[in-house]
Amino acid sequence: MDLVFSLLINGLATGMLIFLLAAGLTLIFGLMDVLNFAHGGLFIWGAYTGVWFYQMSDSFLLAIMVSIITGLLLGLITEKLIVRPVYGNHIQQILITLGFMLVLQELIKVVFGPDQKAVFPPGWLQGSFMVGDIVIIKYRLFIIVLGFLVFFLIFFILKRTRIGLIVRAGVIDKEMIQSLGINIRFVFMLVFMVGAAMAALSGMLHAPYSGVIYAEMGLEFSILAFIVVVIGGMGSFTGSLFAALLVGLAQAFMAYYFPALSLAVNMLLMATVLIFRPQGLFRVKG
Amino acid sequence: MNLRSIERSTWIYIAIALLLFIVPFIVTGRSMQFILIQIFIFGIFAMSYDLLLGFTGIISFGHVMFFGIGAYSTAISLDRFDSTIPALLLGVVLALVIAAIVSFIVGILTLRLKSHFYAMLTLALAGLFLVAAEKWRSLSGGNDGFTFRLPELIRDSQSQYFLCLVSLIFIFFGLRRLTKSPFGKVLMSIRENEQRTESLGYTVLHYKVIASVVSGVIASFAGVLYIISLRFVNTSVFATDLTIDVLLMTIIGGVGTLIGPIIGAGLVEFAHHWLSGLSDVHWIFERWIILYGTVYILVVIFFPLGIVGTIQAKLFGRTVTKGLKDNKSKVS
Repeated sequence: MDLVFSLLINGLATGMLIFLLAAGLTLIFGLMDVLNFAHGGLFIWGAYTGVWFYQMSDSFLLAIMVSIITGLLLGLITEKLIVRPVYGNHIQQILITLGFMLVLQELIKVVFGPDQKAVFPPGWLQGSFMVGDIVIIKYRLFIIVLGFLVFFLIFFILKRTRIGLIVRAGVIDKEMIQSLGINIRFVFMLVFMVGAAMAALSGMLHAPYSGVIYAEMGLEFSILAFIVVVIGGMGSFTGSLFAALLVGLAQAFMAYYFPALSLAVNMLLMATVLIFRPQGLFRVKG
Repeated sequence: MNLRSIERSTWIYIAIALLLFIVPFIVTGRSMQFILIQIFIFGIFAMSYDLLLGFTGIISFGHVMFFGIGAYSTAISLDRFDSTIPALLLGVVLALVIAAIVSFIVGILTLRLKSHFYAMLTLALAGLFLVAAEKWRSLSGGNDGFTFRLPELIRDSQSQYFLCLVSLIFIFFGLRRLTKSPFGKVLMSIRENEQRTESLGYTVLHYKVIASVVSGVIASFAGVLYIISLRFVNTSVFATDLTIDVLLMTIIGGVGTLIGPIIGAGLVEFAHHWLSGLSDVHWIFERWIILYGTVYILVVIFFPLGIVGTIQAKLFGRTVTKGLKDNKSKVS
């Protein structure tokens, strides 16, 4: 029983990290049909700048803030320089964001060096505690709680504020929103920046979780995020949470019980969804 | 056959091809011949990509998996059986059949959806193949890879040169014929406007899947040639770098032109050769992907027709190919 529970915690934590990455991706896609292949680059930049600040200042919470700010700034740059010149052209968008992803990944190696870096959680998040006879690792719980906080914050903004209303309406029909006199491009820029910040946060939280960071992990992790976006339904925020948790849990359990299959399980999940419900589990109605 | 019905450009291509047959007798340096062989191989690989990106408007980020499938099937076949021509042929057949099956499954799953799905699924699948090749050590030799012996016939670099050149010529003219056929016209109309093609009564999905399978099979054949030229295989044949290379070759040369990707392959291969030589001069050349990525981004924004596309536009005063500038009507 305690084994199942600890796998559950493990899967939820992984799922939360994927969710933070996928949520930005899915909102950006839903609003402007932009599939941002550079999202993994924002993830590693968040991780590296956060870890750099953390090792300098020894303050984990401040480091999280630094990674979020990096994400916001990089999101702004990506949107202005890379996505904006090719608006409305799918092929160019997809090609150019992938190119930018590579530039971001290689710049990491130039700025921070090509070697892997080891990262440890801060003292107050190290170790574990017992509930009954179940061992709970503190840092994993921290990721899960923080992930849910971010989810509810964004959920609240989407459901209860005017800007959230515009974003939700824009996902359904952006021409209509524009004809109502709303500058959808400005809204999109904000969404892009928030999405980038979430990706950077995900990278920062992932660093002590996996214990090591390296430049290629951005592309590896963003593949999981793509799978989640497909499963959850492109443009669906809640869908991305459920799909991310599903993928995280599937990965955790398969890695323990059938390690040989753990690679393929997510691909199989995605293929199943594509065959039977190609619009994703949670389709945005419009 | 009426000679006059052959287009003038065909004669030019035939003349260039004949010139290339003489080259190995003039250029005898092994390293130079090796670079030319690599250009032919990547020319084939980039042309297969051009069929997808340039003619049909499909973006694949995992094209390297077909390349890798071809490489590993041939290498494993030559390694397990003796290094004879039948073993090689068995490997080639295996390579082509597996690539056809994989590209068919991927196509049928994702090509009825928006272009994003194909890009994502192929990227994910290529990642899966890379990890599988690293983990399945008993078959693939893992990251270290393995060497193998080639059949006597294609062991020296001159015969490899001719093998690759003949393959390049056949595939080039084959693809040229294909894209100028009614089938090719339908592919191009899908690129220009998918809904309109559908409403004209064409089953768009069939055409896209066929394009995807043809492209996958040719890419797999390029992988076969690649592995013959190296006599060594490791997981680098599944690396994302190769996808980037082939993207760059196709886009710099000019999408939708077929000859463009070959020229692009030449440029990128020579750039590789020179840039790796420059790494002693300045450390930035070791991180050449940055230069590549930057060039790539600039080309996509400012130069979407590529070299050949731009020249054609200048010469004929009209855009023969629309390049990467796809129609706005696809944005829904």
